[in-house]
Amino acid sequence: MSDAKKIVLAEDNSTLSLLLKFRLEKEGYKLLIAADGKEAIEMIEQHDPELILTDIMMPFISGLEVISHVRNKLNKQTPIIVFSAAGQEEMVLKAFNLGANDFMGKPFSPNELVIRVKRLLR
Amino acid sequence: MESYQYLLDYLENAPTIIKVVWITICVFFIAVVILTIYLKYLRNRLRKNEKTVAEYQKEYESDLITYLYAGNEEEEISAEQQLIIDKLRSCASDEFKRRIIVSTLLRLRNEISGEMADAIQKLYFQSGLISFALKRLKSKKWYVVAKGIRELTQLRVKEADDKILMFVNHPKKEIRKEVQLYLVTLFHFEGLQFLDVLQTQLSEWDQIQLLEVLQRFDEQEIPDINPWLKSANDSVVVFALKLAKIYNQFEVKDALIDLLAHPQKKIRVDAIHVLSHLQVFEAKTVLKNNFDILSKEEQIEFFKLLENLCETGDEPFLLTQTTHQNFEIKLSALKILKTLSNEKFKDLKDFSTDADYVKIYEFLAYN
Repeated sequence: MSDAKKIVLAEDNSTLSLLLKFRLEKEGYKLLIAADGKEAIEMIEQHDPELILTDIMMPFISGLEVISHVRNKLNKQTPIIVFSAAGQEEMVLKAFNLGANDFMGKPFSPNELVIRVKRLLR
Repeated sequence: MESYQYLLDYLENAPTIIKVVWITICVFFIAVVILTIYLKYLRNRLRKNEKTVAEYQKEYESDLITYLYAGNEEEEISAEQQLIIDKLRSCASDEFKRRIIVSTLLRLRNEISGEMADAIQKLYFQSGLISFALKRLKSKKWYVVAKGIRELTQLRVKEADDKILMFVNHPKKEIRKEVQLYLVTLFHFEGLQFLDVLQTQLSEWDQIQLLEVLQRFDEQEIPDINPWLKSANDSVVVFALKLAKIYNQFEVKDALIDLLAHPQKKIRVDAIHVLSHLQVFEAKTVLKNNFDILSKEEQIEFFKLLENLCETGDEPFLLTQTTHQNFEIKLSALKILKTLSNEKFKDLKDFSTDADYVKIYEFLAYN
């Protein structure tokens, strides 16, 4: 388990976080859950994860700010998958411009997320 | 004791107004103290309640996730899943707990799709939560019914459509709105069939919400909107016109042309707008022939259509309109004439001495 690849999940919906934690840990990853962007940045700085999953709309610090922090302040190329709700197309474009690698529109299938995570961590 | 006596003497000898002021101060002071105590009690109660909700939510979240991952291929419901179903079923009889369970299911249901989303819906049925939502539909309180319909919409319960359709023409607009959203969210374009029987007005806000829901779906095959364009309910006609424009329903052009003779001016103007968008040339002849009897708004809208569908054959008509009393129409007529032929437009310099005409001509000639 100590060799497991670390993933930081920044998501303010605790039920969804718990579901994804179960699903991704079943696949052998180690999930670190942050309830908002601020917590996510602290976790990223502390644990240096192999992948970041982040929602766009979050309290305190948004997903866009998290991406910007990782790419511009920490200068890291850690793969980032963004979650967005319907009607946030502009935000998704901004996320890609800031350096996100992939996005999933909510509602999404957890199985599909696993496939995308595996592809990015190959 | 002495100072107490002094205060009593002071009050006794004081003028009435001073006595009244002191009594008022005392009353307000007591009221502030009581209210402060009450607010503190209320805040503590709310915090305690919040804490209890958070605890239950955590518990039900964990139950839900366990349920979702406890399934196996051999049994339809595994033993572990059955335990959770039984637990939720018993908790559901308590309204407070039921609310938390439903909100937990919804929090996840709104975020995920696929097999897991179906499993959440299955749990909603198995735990008997659906029966409480259906019971709400029988309530005499309108807001209880509206909340019940919303819950069924959010949990995608298609099976309740017969019961919900009965509220299509309910006197409360909030209930009607929930019914419409239920039908369109769950049955997509097919759900619009409620327009056949809708007797009440479909407000602009209702229409926006319905269109917003419809644009989420990939399928673009919409049902025949001809009957709605001929509806006796004007708001249904207005909505059908929006559908015709958004989904490019060229096949309803005859019904759209018929709407040019509708008694409502707004509908006639909207119909011209849609005909222009769909580039229906037949409409141009009809409108041109009746131009003089059209209202100002229709004439302006017709000129917008002409800007889209102008042909050389329209030149004589356009020339007559360059001296129209409406500035917007004059501008539009000259603009179209310039688009049709720049050479002929140059010859129109001295066509009229009207001040507006000269100004518009000068503007268009140099822009």
